Amino acid sequence: MKLSNRIFSISFLFLLTVQAYAQDSRTLTVSSWGGAYEEAQSEAYFQPFVSFNGIIINLEPYSGGVASLKPSEENGSVLFDVIDMTESDAKEACDLGLLTRFDHAMVAPSAENEDAEDDFIEDSLFECGVAHLEYATVIGYNDRAFKDEKPSSVHDIFDIERFPGKRALRREPKGILEWALLSYGVPVNQVYDLLSTERGLRLVSRRLNQIRDHIVWWDSGDEPIKMLESGEVVMAVGFNGRFFDAIVNQNLPLSIIYEGPLLEFGVWGVSKFSKQQENAKKFINYATSTKRMAVFSSLIPYSPTRQSAWSRIGLHQGSNISMIKHMPNEQGGYRNEIRIDSDWYAQTRSIRQHWFDRWLAGES
Amino acid sequence: MDIKFKVRQPYLLMIYRIITLSLIGTIIGIVVALLAQVFLRTVRWMNDILLVSPSTRIQFDDELLILISATILVPTIGGLIVGLIFQYLVKAKRSLGPPDTILMVQTDSSGESMRSGIMSTIAATISLGVGASVGQYGPLVYLGTIVGAALGKLQISISNLQSICIASGVAAAIAAAFNAPIAGLVFAHEVILRHYSMQAFAPTAVAAAVAYTIVDIILEQPLLFSVQFEGVQYPYEYVFFGILGILCAFLAIAFAKGIMIATAHVQKSNIPIFVRPMIAGFILGIVAIKIPDVLGIGSTTLRFATIDHAFEVNELALILIAKFAVTILCISFGFAGGVFSPILLIGILFGALYESIIDLVVPLAITSVVPYAICGMMAAASPVIGAPLATILIVFELTHSYDLTIASMVAVVFSNLVAYRIFGRSMYDAQLFNRGFDLSLGRSHALAIYKKVSEIAHENFLALSPDENIGEAIDKLETGFHQTGIVVDEDDTFLGLVTLEKASDFDSDQPIDVAYESVPLTFSEETNVAQAVEACRFFNVDIVPVVESENQRLLGVVWPYDVMRTYLLNERRLQAEEHETL
Repeated sequence: MKLSNRIFSISFLFLLTVQAYAQDSRTLTVSSWGGAYEEAQSEAYFQPFVSFNGIIINLEPYSGGVASLKPSEENGSVLFDVIDMTESDAKEACDLGLLTRFDHAMVAPSAENEDAEDDFIEDSLFECGVAHLEYATVIGYNDRAFKDEKPSSVHDIFDIERFPGKRALRREPKGILEWALLSYGVPVNQVYDLLSTERGLRLVSRRLNQIRDHIVWWDSGDEPIKMLESGEVVMAVGFNGRFFDAIVNQNLPLSIIYEGPLLEFGVWGVSKFSKQQENAKKFINYATSTKRMAVFSSLIPYSPTRQSAWSRIGLHQGSNISMIKHMPNEQGGYRNEIRIDSDWYAQTRSIRQHWFDRWLAGES
Repeated sequence: MDIKFKVRQPYLLMIYRIITLSLIGTIIGIVVALLAQVFLRTVRWMNDILLVSPSTRIQFDDELLILISATILVPTIGGLIVGLIFQYLVKAKRSLGPPDTILMVQTDSSGESMRSGIMSTIAATISLGVGASVGQYGPLVYLGTIVGAALGKLQISISNLQSICIASGVAAAIAAAFNAPIAGLVFAHEVILRHYSMQAFAPTAVAAAVAYTIVDIILEQPLLFSVQFEGVQYPYEYVFFGILGILCAFLAIAFAKGIMIATAHVQKSNIPIFVRPMIAGFILGIVAIKIPDVLGIGSTTLRFATIDHAFEVNELALILIAKFAVTILCISFGFAGGVFSPILLIGILFGALYESIIDLVVPLAITSVVPYAICGMMAAASPVIGAPLATILIVFELTHSYDLTIASMVAVVFSNLVAYRIFGRSMYDAQLFNRGFDLSLGRSHALAIYKKVSEIAHENFLALSPDENIGEAIDKLETGFHQTGIVVDEDDTFLGLVTLEKASDFDSDQPIDVAYESVPLTFSEETNVAQAVEACRFFNVDIVPVVESENQRLLGVVWPYDVMRTYLLNERRLQAEEHETL
């Protein structure tokens, strides 16, 4: 089932009502990352929620950051009521007062009636939101681009001699920082300490300089797969779920490097300026239930944040493969995982951006 | 019943000792681990808020005025506070550290007061917090000493309790600081106790294990450093490690000598104690504007040194020289702290520099910077603290790499061989030597040298006045059953000895001075027991006056018996301590 967010918003459930409710108090605007991820969310969260509550969901594209969360200067309106954001963005938005403080008591208990606070994994309930999944940013490559030796370590993305060709990287100072240091043999637990120094960033610059002329930047999460598929690049940084979709659902000849996945929570947050506070909380309560999380993780390999959901993850629809074995952790065959330090990211946004701009300009 | 009791008693006593000492080891381990955490976290917190940490400094990269002001003012004001603490609140007027611990344990003395110890620890916290180039492990060792000494005062019928408790405190401190319980255990024996009795070994091991469990498993304290290392790839590199060890010995000697000479000069100067650290802080701040790596213990710089090409060669040399100089400055000018952390950093930078030069000069492949950096670090640090075994074990416990441990061992062995011949066992021992406690010929000799005869001098003698005549003197000698009388004036100035035998040769109305014996042997306030034992071997005397060398004032007398008894009791105490079991 190939549905885009636009198609979804005019699906049969909404056909009768979408026009009438478009600006109605029963329309909830939720941010959307598009692609396979959004399709899985539609099936696991949006469609059943609409059926169950009769509240319309309108999807608006979102590609991260906090700028698009600020209210319009003209009328104070906001783009989103509910935002599906990265953990570091959620913390920064919370610090900036853009998100509603979250009452964790409103999160539903587990299917076994266990308190949410006991059921959610450690550190997944935030001041301004609740983590609903854990995803990994990984390095993937086109298997056909490398006939003999295949890339197998983080270091290989910087090795143009052994693995020639273009690389698709996300246009932001995130992820590649950690991998650059990892490629020097820096242990995972020291990565952020060293990145907090000029010398650390200098080492990153040096690594990136090795591939400066071989980088193709991307902004939207579905681009790296398209670039790999088209042959524009041979290696790409992307989200593990999207690689899974490309490999399993689309049968593309892609592979993943299992070293150094960057793990981060996906967090539901509610805009502080939204007029749909109650409906937004109702949606989050629904989407973070044990059953919905398990259904979602059976569609795309993003780990649920509820322990009770893990035992309910089933086989992937269509391919019948066990989804547990594709989760971004040791069970999925990953090693040397890096847990994104969202506090560090929230504190260093301007420094990282400054460094990144200078590097792009060839000044560092 | 009597017989049965006698048989069972040793077992009961043994069980009592095992339980009590295990309990004491556990308590010390818990308390020291928690206090060490408070100490380390306070330092880290101060580093963060005072712009000492690289991670906070980088956030003010665009606000140079704030950054430069903080870099100069923080260590300067911090230095003033530390100086005031030493001037007014610490009796010794200096930082307390491992040499004081060694002295307490070896001489079984109470050392500095608890208040001085706590104040010195607070001064060390401030020093490290404001970025002074001093070490954190010396103060931690003393923190363990304070806790151990407090428990060592318990009256629980266990011999050598103070030294056992202090050793346990030190072991726990090292285990907690490095996440290295075995190294903590060995350090306590190698540096502090200087023996391996079962009685001390058991509680020390318990304390180290408990402290490690708390910081590593419960509090999840990150390691000082961890490296990824696949092994030494070329056998000839062990030769390079050995040469590095020899070079590090000279580096360590220069470091230790530099600190001791500079400290002696500063102490002789007229600069008030409370001003000294402030001056060092100001100069440190100026240097840190250009080379921020010199601030604090430099854990981030330490980690970079294990990354290939993280530094340029000239950058390495510059940081190395700067760190070397400011550390000597900070310590000699009275900032509170140890020497281990700075020499670890200096050593690792030296190792990395050595690797860069080898890489440039020698046409042979080498593994990576990692083994050279680690070898340099440990080869430079071990002779300074006199703990080759403990440093080798630290490498093993931190890296879990057998290859790195072997490589370090080669460098450490050569380093210690050279340094021992030229400088002695450690900087701690050299500092103790300057205080009159010379451990170079063993504990027994050190104690005999340290113990002054004046301490055992007594007034169990017959004092005679120079105004008395021979008759009066003989009367007093006979009445008191004395063979010898000591003639002193009204100011207690020693004038001479009069024996009954000689006095009897004179007329009773003659003045007493006609009967003065020639005095073959006197001791001064500086005479130690070792010298006294030697002297008594050559002079057949039954009493020896102890007089102040400057004004000949009589401090008391000793009999050769007193000297020998003191010497033998020390011997016996050491033997008993070294062979004591549970």
